[in-house]
Amino acid sequence: MIQIINGLVYGSFLYVLAVGLVLLFGLRRVTNFAHGALFMLGAYVSHAAAAYLGFWAGMAVSVLVLAALGVVLDRFVFRPLAREEPIVTLLVTFGLLFVLEDAVRTIWGKDFISVAAPAALAGSVTIAGSPFPVYRLFVIAVAVVVAAALAIWLRATRVGLYVRASSVDPVTTGMQGVDTERLSALVVAIGTGLAGLSGTIAGPLMALSPSMGGYIIIDCFIVVVTGGFTSFTGAFVAALLIGQFHNLGLVYVPEVASVIPLLVMGVVLALRPQGLAGPGR
Amino acid sequence: MSATASPPAAARSGAARLLLAAAVFAAAGAALPWLIASQLALTLMTQAAINAILAVAVGFLIRHDGLTSFGHAAFYGMAAYLMALNGRFDWMPAEAALLAAIVLPAAFAFLAGLIIVRLPGLAFSMLTLALAQSLHELMLRWRQIGGGDDGLSVRLPARLFGVGIELFQSPSSMFIVCWIALVAVVALLGLIARSHFGLLTVAIRENEERARYIGYRTLAPRALVFALSAAIAGLAGVLFGLYNAFVTPGSLHWTLSGEALIMAIIGGTRAIWGPALGAVVFFAVKDAAGDLTEHWPAIIGALLIAVTVLLPHGISGVLARTGTRDRARTP
Repeated sequence: MIQIINGLVYGSFLYVLAVGLVLLFGLRRVTNFAHGALFMLGAYVSHAAAAYLGFWAGMAVSVLVLAALGVVLDRFVFRPLAREEPIVTLLVTFGLLFVLEDAVRTIWGKDFISVAAPAALAGSVTIAGSPFPVYRLFVIAVAVVVAAALAIWLRATRVGLYVRASSVDPVTTGMQGVDTERLSALVVAIGTGLAGLSGTIAGPLMALSPSMGGYIIIDCFIVVVTGGFTSFTGAFVAALLIGQFHNLGLVYVPEVASVIPLLVMGVVLALRPQGLAGPGR
Repeated sequence: MSATASPPAAARSGAARLLLAAAVFAAAGAALPWLIASQLALTLMTQAAINAILAVAVGFLIRHDGLTSFGHAAFYGMAAYLMALNGRFDWMPAEAALLAAIVLPAAFAFLAGLIIVRLPGLAFSMLTLALAQSLHELMLRWRQIGGGDDGLSVRLPARLFGVGIELFQSPSSMFIVCWIALVAVVALLGLIARSHFGLLTVAIRENEERARYIGYRTLAPRALVFALSAAIAGLAGVLFGLYNAFVTPGSLHWTLSGEALIMAIIGGTRAIWGPALGAVVFFAVKDAAGDLTEHWPAIIGALLIAVTVLLPHGISGVLARTGTRDRARTP
């Protein structure tokens, strides 16, 4: 029981991170290799800000800083490269990943930094007879709020409609008079802001280190591919699935746990090459 | 694709010219250890030659499948670990193990390729990275097999293929072995690129649907290119295992995959030899960076961004554009 909730925690966390990539892919048809590095940067920014302002303000600072960085990225990387092959953006963001990791290592050092959960969430509750940290439940709550907010935004607002339309066909959407460039800047900012959010909530879950992004981005990519690239629901289901298998793997077969998400994905793709929720061919 | 239209005699003489050039390059490179006394320089050059083979493997996959691998260290590390594990468990004679360390990653790549080369390019890139990192974690965590962070020593017999093992472990002789292997790989891939198979895979890369309409099956050739590329990465891993007699999870890590990819991009993948040239430039820049090596990741990151944006076909692309002779032939 506890293990299943732990899997849910990791899945929730993966969802908040992966959905940023799904948003970006919908608008720009590219993938940001530096997403894990942005997540890592978000964790450090919130840690640095929290030293002066406390955990919650640190979270806000991290989300805002990363969202601003997202606007810059969109303006100077994704937009100019939109005419090129998607692989060009992938390579450039890959280079960016090296630069960001080096910058963080230079500023904050390469040692692990552990972060305590905020006082309000520090305790634990009893679930099925064993104690469980409140903070981990909070992570699940964050993912639920993010998923619900995104669903409402995408389904019930005009901008959300534009985003969905643009995910299906950016060119036609642009022809209908939607400013897809501004839309893209907004969506990239939301995606990187979510990377800042997930970096913040990752702090008390795992120790901060410059390489934390490289580790997490792998599972994140697996989630995006398994989910079918453009589907928010697909990413949600895939994140929970991968989170569950990842965690059960860590508990029962720790030696080979790392290949389990990959095997899950292999099975899904062998049955459905377009992913869980990808468009049929 | 004018090579198909040229008469067979011209094609034969083209192949002969390629082999002649390879022989000249092999001989010239093999002479270097007599000219360079510094063991340090030879060590660096040996490492560069091994990494160049890995980069050529990455470049070949881009050239013939249009797929960019971010995880080629998987096959490199797999080969080195297979050798180390064979030394430990004595499954087969060392000579057979060297061969198996090339064949098994290739077979694995072929089977995995049947699933993943069908995916759009971005997904392929992400999955190759995921594959390599999963193997890296596997070797790191599964201490009983992979030895964890400490890695494994590659136990080799005193004599291999009838020659003393020290031949493979002293930089002056190992450089010659690696250099000749590199030239042979480039020549072999050059011949494959001119063959029916090479032209077919380029055609599939350009337009898979059209190739299918003409009546070709497209999945198996694409998976075969992936397997061939994995075999070459495996060869690089074997040479690394022989030379270092030691393997750590670092040989599976994404920084190695990334470096090989960066070499391929810097050198350009239109020419088979482009990535090898990229490896030379890469090591020269690394050597020149000197005191700045602490910030080496940022330097290669910036270099990658600059080359991707400014020189889309890499250095070999620039050279091909200045030399008019190859213009018509570049696929």
